[in-house]
Formats: sequence, C-alpha cells, structure tokens
Amino acid sequence: MTSKSRLPCFHCGLIIPAGYRESVRIGDADHPVCCPGCKAVAELIRDSGMSRYYELREAPSPGLTRPSDNAAKKDWEAFDRPDMLERFALVQDGVAEALVYVEGMFCSACAWLIETSLKTMPGVVSVDVSPVTSRVRIRWKPEATAFSRLLQRLVELGYKPQPNTNETVDRPELGERRAALKRLIVACLGMMQVMMFAVALYAGDYQGISPQFEKFFRLVSFIVATPVVFYAGRPFFIGAWRGLRFRQPGMDVPVAIAIGSAYLASVWSMLINASEIWFDSVTMFVFFLTVGRFLEMSARHRATERSVALSQLLPNTAMRVDGATLTPVATAALQLGDQVMVRPGERVPADGRVLKGQAEVDESLLTGESTPRRRGPDASVIAGSMVLDGAVTVSIDKLGANTTLAAICRSMELARCTRPPLVRMADSIASYIVIALLIVAAAVALAWSFIDPARAFVITLSVLVVTCPCALALATPAAIATASARLAELGLLITDGSAIETLARANRIMFDKTGTLTVGKPGITRISIVDASRGFSEDDCLRIAASLERASAHPIARAFSTDNLEPVDNLSVSAGAGVSGSIGGHTWRIGNAAFASSEAADEATTQGDAGLSQIHLSCDGQLVAIIELQDALRAGAATQLRALRKLGIEVSLASGDTAMPVRNIAQALGIEDYRHGMSADDKLAWLREHQEAGERVVMVGDGINDAPVLAGADTSVAIGQGALLAHSSAESILLGPTLQPLVDAVQVSRRALTIIRQNLGWAVLYNLTALPLAAMGWVPPWLAAAGMSASSLVVVLNALRLKNYRPRDLLAAGNAGIRA
Amino acid sequence: MNILFFLIPLGLLILGLAVWAFFWAVGSGQFDDLDTPATRILLDDDDTPTSKDDSA
Repeated sequence: MTSKSRLPCFHCGLIIPAGYRESVRIGDADHPVCCPGCKAVAELIRDSGMSRYYELREAPSPGLTRPSDNAAKKDWEAFDRPDMLERFALVQDGVAEALVYVEGMFCSACAWLIETSLKTMPGVVSVDVSPVTSRVRIRWKPEATAFSRLLQRLVELGYKPQPNTNETVDRPELGERRAALKRLIVACLGMMQVMMFAVALYAGDYQGISPQFEKFFRLVSFIVATPVVFYAGRPFFIGAWRGLRFRQPGMDVPVAIAIGSAYLASVWSMLINASEIWFDSVTMFVFFLTVGRFLEMSARHRATERSVALSQLLPNTAMRVDGATLTPVATAALQLGDQVMVRPGERVPADGRVLKGQAEVDESLLTGESTPRRRGPDASVIAGSMVLDGAVTVSIDKLGANTTLAAICRSMELARCTRPPLVRMADSIASYIVIALLIVAAAVALAWSFIDPARAFVITLSVLVVTCPCALALATPAAIATASARLAELGLLITDGSAIETLARANRIMFDKTGTLTVGKPGITRISIVDASRGFSEDDCLRIAASLERASAHPIARAFSTDNLEPVDNLSVSAGAGVSGSIGGHTWRIGNAAFASSEAADEATTQGDAGLSQIHLSCDGQLVAIIELQDALRAGAATQLRALRKLGIEVSLASGDTAMPVRNIAQALGIEDYRHGMSADDKLAWLREHQEAGERVVMVGDGINDAPVLAGADTSVAIGQGALLAHSSAESILLGPTLQPLVDAVQVSRRALTIIRQNLGWAVLYNLTALPLAAMGWVPPWLAAAGMSASSLVVVLNALRLKNYRPRDLLAAGNAGIRA
Repeated sequence: MNILFFLIPLGLLILGLAVWAFFWAVGSGQFDDLDTPATRILLDDDDTPTSKDDSA
C-alpha cells in the first residue's frame, strides 16, 4: 500500500496520482503523465513536431497549467466579431496585429514552443515572444485564421492568453526608446570624431599647424558637432525651456546654457578666426549626459512593462443570458442591466446583483479576505472576484469606471500623488544649486568684463563647464542603476530608483498578512482524531480527505496532497458546505461542521479555535477527525524578520483578516505591532500615523486591496506572485518565494547610500576646488571639460563597486562584519 | 598632406553611412528587445515543425 511511486509527470512535473497509468511516447521512450490534460498537451506538442521543447526547457514547467484545470473553457469566439477584433488588434491592409499577455510563460523554451506553434498556423505573418514581459506580439491575416483559433492554440498548449486592448499594441515607450538610441549613437559617433580633430588641433598648438589645416579641422568639427548639439542635445533645450516656463529650473537649465553658449561661441570664434573653439567640450558633454539619460529611461521602461491595465483583471469574455440561450460577448461590450452567467473558476466581469444560483466567491484580490464569501440571490458581487463553485446569474448594475475595482484604482492614484515629500525635496534642492551656479557664473562674467573683457567669455564658459553638475547629477543615478542591477540579481526588482534611497533610510516595514508573510494558500497544521474506535490513523484520514477533496474547486482542497488517492464512488459536491462520497462501502462526508454531521457542531464550539479553518471528516454520520488548516508562513520568514530587526527596522503587521489568525502569525514571528480587521483605508491611515511620527515606512503587500497603501508608503514592495495591479503601484517587486531579498535589499541600499554620499562629497569637493580656479581664469575650457569628465568617471567607477557587494549574513555566528 | 582634404570628407561620408545604417536598424526594431534574442540563438531549428494544421 505504501509503495510510494512518486514519479513526476513528464509534462508538468507534478506527482502522478497512484493508479493513474497513462504515458506518452516521445522518441523511443514512454513518459508517464499525470492526467488526461497533460497527455493531450504532450501529444499535441509531439504531433506537431515540437518535441524539442522538452529538451530545451530548464525544468518541467509549473506554469503550464493542465487544460483540465482551466475549468473555464473560454469561449474565445467572441473575439472574432469585427468590432471586437478592432478593439484588440490593429488591422491594416488585411493584416492584424495583436499583443497578447500569456500567463504561464517562464523560459525561452516556452517562447520557442509558442513561436513555433503559432507560426505553423496559416496566415500568421510573424510572432514575437518576449519571455521577460510575458507578451506575444502576433501579426496575422484574419481571413486565413480567426483570432480565436490563435488564442485557442495557446490554451491547448497549456497557457492562459489574455489579449490586450489595442491602445497598448503600439507602445509609446518603444518610440521613446528608439529616439533615445538614435540620439545616443549620434552623440557617441560625433564625440569620437570631434575628439579626433581636437587632438590634431591641440597638437597643432604645440608643434605648429598650417592655417589652412587649422581652419579645415575647425570647419569639420563644426559640421560634426552641429547634429550632436541640435539632434542629440535637443531634450536638454526642451527640458530647460519647460523648467523655466514652470519656474522649476532643473539640471537642464545650466546644461542648456553651457551647451548653447559654448556652441554659439565656437561658431563665432570659427567665423572670426579667433584662437579658441570648444566643439570637443560640447560634444563630450552632450554624450555623457545622453548616456545618463538613456540608462535612466531604460530603467523606467522596465518598470512600466510590468505594470498592467485595469482591463486585464477582468475576464475577456462573459456569457450573456439572452432568454434561454447563452451568448459569449466580450466584457467591454456588456451593457447595464445585462444578465451574465458566471461559472466556477471564472471572474465576475462587472459589479452586479445575483439573480439566480449560489456560489462561494473569492474576493481576496479586492478585499484581502482569505476566506471566500457565500453569495446567494440578491447579494452583490464585485467585478474581478472569482466564483469558486456553483454557477450564478448576475444582473449588471455597474460597469467599467464605476466598479469597485476602478474605485480602488483611483484611490491608488490619489495616494500616489500625496507621496511623502522626499522626492520632491531633492528636485527643489537641485534647482537651488542650479540657480546658485547661474548667479556665480553671471558674477564671474560681470567681474571679468571689468578686468579683461576679452577673456570674460572664455572664463565664464570654463566656470559653467567645470561646475557643471555633471558628476553631481551622475552621483546618484549611477549608484542607483548599479544597486538596482545588483538587487535584481538578489531577487528584488526595482522599478523606481527612489526606492533605494528610501529603503536605506527606512526604519519600519509594514507587512500585509495573506500572501505576503504567508504563502496565501492554506496548509494542514493539525489533525485530531475524534473517534479512534474505527481504527483510522491520521494518515488514513488525510488520504480519505484528499480523495474526497479532489472534486472540489475550493482553495482549501489545494491543501491536500494528490498522491495515493482512493477511488471514490458517488462523489458529490455541495456548494459551500463540503464533499461527500463513498469509499469502501462507507459514506464519508467532509466539510463544515453542520455538513459532516449534526453532532459535530457541538464539538466545534467546545474545542474550536476560531482563528483556524477547521474541516470535519465523518464516516456514516459519525465524526472521525477534525483537520485544522492554516495559511502557511513563508519559508524562513521568522529568521528574515529577525535579520531586519537587527538592521534596526521595526516590523508591523496590518491585516484585513480576523483577530485570531493575525495574532497567531504575529506571535509566531515575534511581531508586537499588529492590527487586524483593517480595510485598505484603515491601513493607509495607520501608515500615515507612523509617518507622522517621523518614521519612514516600507509597505510590503500583494493584493489589489493593498494598492492604495503601497502607493502611499514611503516606498513599497509588491510580491511577485501577487496581483498585477499591486505591481504597478509598487516601486519594487519581490521575486522568488522568500522575504530574504528584503533583508539583502536594505543592506545593498544602505551601501548604495554610502556610495552616493561619497560621490556627492567628491563632486562637491571637485566643484568647490575647480570653481575658484576657473573663476580666476586658470582653467582653459578644454581642461574644464576634461576635469568634468574625469570627475564623472570617478563617480561612475565608485558606483560600479556596488556590483560586487555581498550582503552580510546577519545572523551568522560571531557576526563578524564580513564584507566582500 | 593635401590628401586630408579628400580623406576627411570621405571619413565623414562613411560616418554618415554608419549613422544611417544604425537609424535603419533601430527603425526596423532590431534594438527593441535585447533579452530574447540572446536566448534564441541557443535554439537551432534543425527539426522543422511539421507544418500541418487543422484550421477547419
């Protein structure tokens, strides 16, 4: 009986249930699979000649859902109607282009599988798969193959496709990136050329150069520098103009003045054949700044690529009830008063009222409640919540922007606008520095116009270039870019650079409970045998419970392992109550107390622990065992929180859950500051309390309900497996299953802050020493430009040291400060 | 040394060509995604998929 044939499924890697003996023949070997769904997918992959997928993939993909799990066989045909196609694709000259978000795509083997598979379909022009962003861009001829066929093929392969509306098909950031790349290359090539001529000219200054060559080189420098200034340098002029117009002069203002005046002066000097030109300084300056801007932009785009529109949280299609028939319609085409049928495993497309049917509804995405709610006739359901069992007919009373989901999105935007003023302060300091620089430059110009008018311009230019806040401007972004790269390696994806500064200064971290400190899925914590007279051991009970629960779609059912299942007859699910079936001639019932047996109800009140979910197992009406379930803690959470405290960071827990489970978790983790039963607004208010007490608070959360709090915190971390909307409101995303990256991130950020301080110190020191020298007229512009570049280089190299920084193991014995 | 009057403009011309080629490459999307192609090179297509499809 205990022969543990724990063979993993060839396709999905899950354990094959005992007794299931199906396999797929690929090449010369038979490979066992775990269910008919996996068998079908594996055969499909084999029959279309793509068996190489299995060689290429890195591991059996957990993301490939078995089609049988995809309970909702979506009716994709709604997407074939011309008005729908127009909504989700751009159609031009008979070729449509659509961007599809594909859930479950993880590695390049998936990308290969999707690409190769779609390309074999008739009429498909091109398929671009990006595993990084989980998006597939398909161009195809709609007359040859319907959109629904393409989507269906993705479903058949085991992925979950989700077409984006066509606003996102042509990406504005793509245009921005292309333009920035072009500017970068113009600045880079131009700078190299001008430098080359400048070397010739400088050499000529010492060794002598014939006037015709000098003139020629100057002319050539001018020709090359012109596009660099006006094409590559355009954003600086635009930025400076915008800054002046809104009375918020940023770094762009002195940059634009330096570039513009040096260029014009060089042109003038070339025309009148004066002794100096500064084309080399100008192009070098533009190039360095363009590189900085480009890196900054890349980081920003990476962040937006992961964020997601509201529409993706709603189902693509809904089943409209038209009298006696069901018509699949796209969610976007629903009207107020429409009646839709929502089946198990599907999401509710809009806010509404239940007309018919009963179901357990999982609203955790919106409310953070870990337990599903029962919704019967006349109860209201909200868009985005998922129906777990039982089908309901819903009459729609709120659509699109009026739904609760949309309201949450709005409050998130609002919270983001009222972010603490740390970021804005940095901006205003910069504009003060800029104004001070301009005043100093003007004073120098004025002074020299009295002393020696002929040299006034050269010296002012030197002052502007030498004091250019270039190293100052690079000091922070360079360190932040390197720190972000290092953090991504350690498992924290930074989407907003300011997060690093705040992480380094943070002194409180506030956690959500469900899905953040816990994994968000119930696990079995205890089983107590009530009636031992029947001779069932704990293992027997668990196995029987698992055999019954496999019929249920309830999240609790997932807590049970799926191997060694017993055959069950008469398996039936009672929505919201439990499952019954007969095993070996006995009738077993599992579920809530009332369902399992009438007598169990008293038991539950006497020994019940309200914080835990309890399920009761009975045999022929006799209660046999009580199984306790609890949302399991993340692996190593206690250690990691201890490490955080060691770093001087207080830990708080804010949960929407009831008192007991919150207290249990808080005690298990040693958290003293915790509150329960909090709505998103309560959490935000509590967060503000902490902030008003002068603390810098990091919020860690996973759900959409946390989105406003995430947006309101000093900085925020979203859980990678959490809701996509939470990602878009957070400044960093935790990848991987543990909280360890947080501990590392705090250390890396503090190190980054130290480096930023060193950099700023260096830049200020350099500027302070260089400024008087330049003002005295001892620094020619070329030396000023070289000094400026050298100081920038120092700053960048210093920042690069972060790349190898290794966070300490804070709880290691001895605790000696080992640092790489 | 007068050859410089010819060679330098020639160099500029080549520079112009290089910039043009780069602009063309950017415009045709070759720099849009720098992550996927890095892994794609590892996948060679020696067994071409059977191009049959039941698009009935």
